[in-house]
Amino acid sequence: MTLEFLPSWPFLLSYPLLFGVLLVAGMIGGEIARGARLPRIIGYVVVGFILAPLAQAMSLNPLIEEARIFIDLALGLVLFDLGRRMDLQWMKRDWTLAASGLAESLLSVAAVFATLMAFDFTAVKAAIAASIAIATSPAVVLLIVQDTKSEGQVTERALNLVALNSLLASILTTILLASAHIESKMAIESALLHPAYLFAGSLALGAAIAGFARLTARAVEKTKDLHFTLIAGMVVAAVGLAIMLKLSVILSLLAFGLFSRNDARSYDLLNVNLAPASRLLYIVLFVITGASLPLEALVVGGVGALALAGARAAGKLFGILVIAPIGGLRMRQALGLGCALLPMSTLALMLQHDVVKVFPEFGSDLIAVFLGALIIMEVVGPLAVQWGLRFAGETEPATESTAAPAQPATNPPSTF
Amino acid sequence: MPLEFARSEPLSLGVELELMVLNTHDYNLVRGAPDLLARLEKMKLPGEVKPEITESMIEVNSSVNASYSTLLGELMEVRDAIVVAAERLNVAVAGGGAHPFHKWKERRIFPQERFQRVSSLYGYLAKQFTVFGQHIHVGVTSGDDAVYLTHQLARYIPHFIALSASSPFAQGEDTSFETSRLHAISSFPLAGQMPPVKSWAEFNRYYDEMAGYGIVASMKDFYWDIRPKPEYGTIEIRICDTPLTVETAAQLAAYAQTLAADLLRNRRTEAIEPLYRVYGYNRFQACRFGFGAALVDPYGHRHVQLRDDLLDTLERLEPCAVELGTAVPLLSVAAMAARETNDSRWLRERLEETRSLTDVVRLQAARWRETMAVPA
Repeated sequence: MTLEFLPSWPFLLSYPLLFGVLLVAGMIGGEIARGARLPRIIGYVVVGFILAPLAQAMSLNPLIEEARIFIDLALGLVLFDLGRRMDLQWMKRDWTLAASGLAESLLSVAAVFATLMAFDFTAVKAAIAASIAIATSPAVVLLIVQDTKSEGQVTERALNLVALNSLLASILTTILLASAHIESKMAIESALLHPAYLFAGSLALGAAIAGFARLTARAVEKTKDLHFTLIAGMVVAAVGLAIMLKLSVILSLLAFGLFSRNDARSYDLLNVNLAPASRLLYIVLFVITGASLPLEALVVGGVGALALAGARAAGKLFGILVIAPIGGLRMRQALGLGCALLPMSTLALMLQHDVVKVFPEFGSDLIAVFLGALIIMEVVGPLAVQWGLRFAGETEPATESTAAPAQPATNPPSTF
Repeated sequence: MPLEFARSEPLSLGVELELMVLNTHDYNLVRGAPDLLARLEKMKLPGEVKPEITESMIEVNSSVNASYSTLLGELMEVRDAIVVAAERLNVAVAGGGAHPFHKWKERRIFPQERFQRVSSLYGYLAKQFTVFGQHIHVGVTSGDDAVYLTHQLARYIPHFIALSASSPFAQGEDTSFETSRLHAISSFPLAGQMPPVKSWAEFNRYYDEMAGYGIVASMKDFYWDIRPKPEYGTIEIRICDTPLTVETAAQLAAYAQTLAADLLRNRRTEAIEPLYRVYGYNRFQACRFGFGAALVDPYGHRHVQLRDDLLDTLERLEPCAVELGTAVPLLSVAAMAARETNDSRWLRERLEETRSLTDVVRLQAARWRETMAVPA
């Protein structure tokens, strides 16, 4: 007699189980980190570091590879949210904002490029790695802004500059891939056409989705619940479409967010708060990111990794500290802003994955240096953002005293 | 020691306006005052722009003006400067008595010693005090006149409530009131009205008694709807919501100035006690129903509709208005009353149109900068 209704050994592991385990483990890690006064994100990532060898021992690794869809969805939400916060009108009104973004991007790309050249990487490889390194992790900045309830000029400017440098990094990487194609002796047409398709196609997809979302929004009642469902659905669909059309998920979703805010001054789509729901995906995003970072890269990459991370940080800080004060930011605010742009995480990891896909010669030696730097910044980045926002005075004050004050009756407050 | 009543030009005018600082993505209140004030500090402006209890508020203080027209000009100049500075920071500024959907819990107390002290004394009342009012100062020559006017203007408080009402929404809901802001103020222990003293000397005896109990340390501790302001030599009307435009703010000041002129010229001799017996009822009626309020006339023993009472008053003020140069603004006030249009009605109409409070606040901010010479 065979008991076919019983599960067979070894058990078949499934996505729901994986998602659930990563979520709960991540949450616990996050709370442990918070207990130690560290950003929750560090907890999420460290849980990933710990889970990776366990998963490998249980031959779960293919599942983690397959979990890319969670990453794409989470990143899609982050980039949409960020695109929506990016304000082109503001950049027009205050030129120093865009200028400080360009300065930090250019200086960090130059610094990383020079460093990698000094480590004897070829110009094309160094340039591609440097252009990826322009990107600040949008998820890290958004989550820390949420966790610390940060509000003010530094926070707003940081979110705009993260959107700007994510955009620049994606565009520059796409363009540089063309030269990589040429170097790898690919037909010149496809070498030029591929980046063009990625760029124009992603923008067009973002614009089309934004247009469709607005039309749908006009047709339904204007309530937060409905618009939340609409946006969540469109973000997921946009990620799916971008994958289906072999476009850049990053560019498409950034464009979707950007167009849904900056389009034609129409206000059909409500600005719903995506934070509570997207938190679930973000936790999984960081755990998986941690799990997919090989810690041995720290050893292999070694000095190179440290140099890359250092050069990038120096470029970003210098760029902001030079331009931002011209726009009226105090030095304290400029330093906070510079620090808020330091994290490097999933976005860079995904860009690097995309590069390796079309340009396998990228090379394991450079990958080790790059991932080494990424691991360093995975921990340093969140600390830098949290410190920077606090230093600028924009995070929520620890706790306001609600206890009865020692207030002599003869000296009541005189205000109003 | 008796309070010294400073001398000021009779019927000179000044206003204080508390304004909202908003973000430009969902138009919630935002922690923008410190950066905005830092920017404005570098500019040469008449009067003063100051912090208020939470970091999402700023307060404009005009200088002392002789007339309505100079006051309006000054308010427009300051408004323009604030709008330009705000745009550089990507924040918006708006009038209105209360933010329609902010959550008081999210507000942050301005990091200044005196605000922190208020916050620790009053607890959640301090954050709930994130409401936005207009105060009008009118110059008087003596403490006795200040006491007399403070009492006599009490009868007209409902007019100011209906005309300035601009806070129909609170914490995301329609309150069904024309103004919800006044509820935030009534919670304070020293809110209300001045006691029925007859002269400045008698007021001083009352003040000394209160100071002797340790209840007050200065005039600022009385959160009355109208109070004498001996330091400035003025009486201060504190009942108005901040209107959605500086034009309305200046018109309200012109109405106050003309009323004061009339009351000083045609002295009233009736007993003041009946005024205060109906005061709370009339105040509620105006808050709830605006121009449609049924006011009790304590001397005539009858009910009058607020709108009619206001129009009658304006008619009576006409000669005075011509002399003072306030005939034009009072025509606007009369038009508001006749059509029963105030800012609360405008806000409710915008909600009807857009179905979204975020859009209402966005339009409210657009209205604030509507009449700028160079649209920013």
